[in-house]
Amino acid sequence: MTAASVEILDGNTFVVSDGSGDIEASSTDPTGLFSYDTRFLSRWVLTVDGRRLTPLSTDDVNYFEARFFLVPGTGTVYVDSKLSVIRKRAVGRGFHEQLTVMNHDEQAVDVVVRIEATSDFADLFEVKDALEKKGTYRTHVDDDGLLLAYERETYRRATHISSSEPAAIDEHGLTFQLRIEPHSQWETELDVVTAASVSGARFLRTKHGSNGDGGSRMASDLEQWLETAPAIASDWDALKVTYRRSLIDLAALRFSPPIAGGRSLPAAGLPWFMTMFGRDSIFTSLQALPFKPELAATTLQVLGAWQGTRVDDFRDEDPGRILHEMRYGELPAFEERPHTPYFGTADATPLYVVLLDEYERWTGDTALVRELEQEARAALRWIDEYADLMGNGYISYKRRNEETGLENQCWKDSWDSISYRDGRLPGFPRATCELQGYAYDAKVRGARLARAVWGDDELAERLEREAEDLKRRFDRDFWVEDGEYYALALDADGAQVDSLSSNNGHLLWSGIVEDSKADAVARHLMGPRLFSGWGVRTLAEGDGRYNPIGYHVGTVWPFDSSFVAWGLRRYGYKEEAARVAAGILEAAEFFAGRLPEAFGGYERSITRYPVEYPTACSPQAWSTGTPLLLLRTMLGLEPLGEHLVVDPALPTRIGHLELLDIPGRWGRIDAFARGRVDVGAR
Amino acid sequence: MSADPTSDFFDALAARGHEPLLEKMHGSVAVELSGGGEDERWVVSVEGGAVAAEQGARDADCTLRTSKELFDHLVTGETNAMAALLRGALVIEGDLELLALFQRIFPAATARVGSEAEASQA
Repeated sequence: MTAASVEILDGNTFVVSDGSGDIEASSTDPTGLFSYDTRFLSRWVLTVDGRRLTPLSTDDVNYFEARFFLVPGTGTVYVDSKLSVIRKRAVGRGFHEQLTVMNHDEQAVDVVVRIEATSDFADLFEVKDALEKKGTYRTHVDDDGLLLAYERETYRRATHISSSEPAAIDEHGLTFQLRIEPHSQWETELDVVTAASVSGARFLRTKHGSNGDGGSRMASDLEQWLETAPAIASDWDALKVTYRRSLIDLAALRFSPPIAGGRSLPAAGLPWFMTMFGRDSIFTSLQALPFKPELAATTLQVLGAWQGTRVDDFRDEDPGRILHEMRYGELPAFEERPHTPYFGTADATPLYVVLLDEYERWTGDTALVRELEQEARAALRWIDEYADLMGNGYISYKRRNEETGLENQCWKDSWDSISYRDGRLPGFPRATCELQGYAYDAKVRGARLARAVWGDDELAERLEREAEDLKRRFDRDFWVEDGEYYALALDADGAQVDSLSSNNGHLLWSGIVEDSKADAVARHLMGPRLFSGWGVRTLAEGDGRYNPIGYHVGTVWPFDSSFVAWGLRRYGYKEEAARVAAGILEAAEFFAGRLPEAFGGYERSITRYPVEYPTACSPQAWSTGTPLLLLRTMLGLEPLGEHLVVDPALPTRIGHLELLDIPGRWGRIDAFARGRVDVGAR
Repeated sequence: MSADPTSDFFDALAARGHEPLLEKMHGSVAVELSGGGEDERWVVSVEGGAVAAEQGARDADCTLRTSKELFDHLVTGETNAMAALLRGALVIEGDLELLALFQRIFPAATARVGSEAEASQA
């Protein structure tokens, strides 16, 4: 993608174009109109008198609409400005484009305006892997417009293009022969509608405008979304910018899967990960709980509905397991990929129980906890009955689908993310440490729900016993004596994978760390090997595979640091948590409030700015949720019975901070704080 | 394999009387199957996990339409319901949410029996 690429979206329908609004995809170039993981337009090119256009300015007004101000011709220093063109585009069920051609001359002009359109109907997986298509293409021209279609057995996808003004339509596009009077303009509406044969949804010819009115609907929806979120006041303007950016991006990241009855949950990232991800949806829902608790409710319901029920090796599915990823394209449809849904994640299942409990603590919504009792019980059973691959009482992972399954089923999922101190890579199964923390937390929280809501004291006592036992064993087996931290993992022989990693912060968050060890763990997290000054490195400087720009072996992930901060708070390290929050929020300033997925692990005093790690997706859901969780940790927001405890520890960078109308079981509550924690020189 | 996996599936479902995996489902699903000689129509009614399945023309809240051959594959775990839906081999009229729930009771091709899964934990 070039710097000029423009992305707009609605749910999982999105358009990636160049700065003039054109789409010219190749088999591997990720531009186009995409919906449900399928590319419905791979070419959409506007010409005037056979010439391409040059953008004067591009304005992505909102995440769902963009405007392109263009003049004919390319490559010249001076533009002939007798004609100008405006494309106004909004995403809906496909997209709607209002095309305006203006004649600024004193003479009438005759012009030929043409739109070329093609679709390759590529699956997102094909775009990534450059695979060949197996079906057949068809185009059809009639009075209503141009139909582009693709068919493979019963799999059918189609794109229909129509115009409000008369056009000469051929198999490759639409042509308009115009005469525009002096100082006048010509305008047409173009509708691009996508269709699939899913669930009997037949191809519908839209009336003009029925697709485009999505713009105003979405604008009022966004307004309401912002209005119902807690309001912020602070003397630190950048924090307000970051907060607003997070809320808007979170709105854009909402995704309503067909089975959610119109409700939405956070997808993982824009634009390529606009789908349900167990782990990402849960972490983001946790981060957003004090602000948008309804996201957690939908996440729990939808992931619960799709919970695994059988042992399916192709999908790495087990009874009780929470899904990793759902995809809707051609390859999953023909079971050439396992994503319908794919279950290869070892953390989403215990985290599901964690989210259910945390959600209830905030909202008091015991009805949902009762509704999801079977799902939560099945998730708890999965931990003991299916996840203990080594029979040693720990969750570990090893894929059963060796062709298209995921090797690393924890959040650090790149090939070299789990390594020994000396850089060697362990075999499989792998029992990474944070999974044990999540399992511990799931048991503790499951016990609370069993006692408080399900009325099952026996289960509660068993879970508490198991949690206590797990904590004791974990401390014995994972504690690295000569380093005074918890090992990254146990390998297939039960030996420690002994590198020092940010996962220690997740252990604090889960509560599995022995109180007597917390000091040492916190010291490492804030020490020079892990803390860069901006945030906590994924892997400690000095370990074999450490690389400040290695994806999971040295970069700083804002989401990771936000959970580290939460963990520090949980064990009472308020000032340390404030230092992490200050670092990440100051980094956000460099990205206009939109935190990237990761940035380099370079020492802050050397680079002076956070070096962005290049990734395809932005915004990323759990980076978007990060400032929200950091607000929570800085303000020390914690539900206690029917009340919300506010126990702030703000960096002095922030003079004052107010968060107003925090929703929860208490109704709405305000939190006020002053910055008193000196986080050190910048 | 049985000569008619589909009717075995419905018979077994009716015989179970109660299906914990369907406790969230309220209402009825008609399954209309074509291409297996005579067309078949089954109606599965579920109320709080209590299941009844019978052949006939009774009204239903949601209709699942596919070929007899594909449904045989669904109930033996040779194909996946969501994948079949995405490729248009299976059509649902009515509430899609019901599919998410209903597909829970289809087996997987590689299913180990429960006792083996439990034995592997020992």
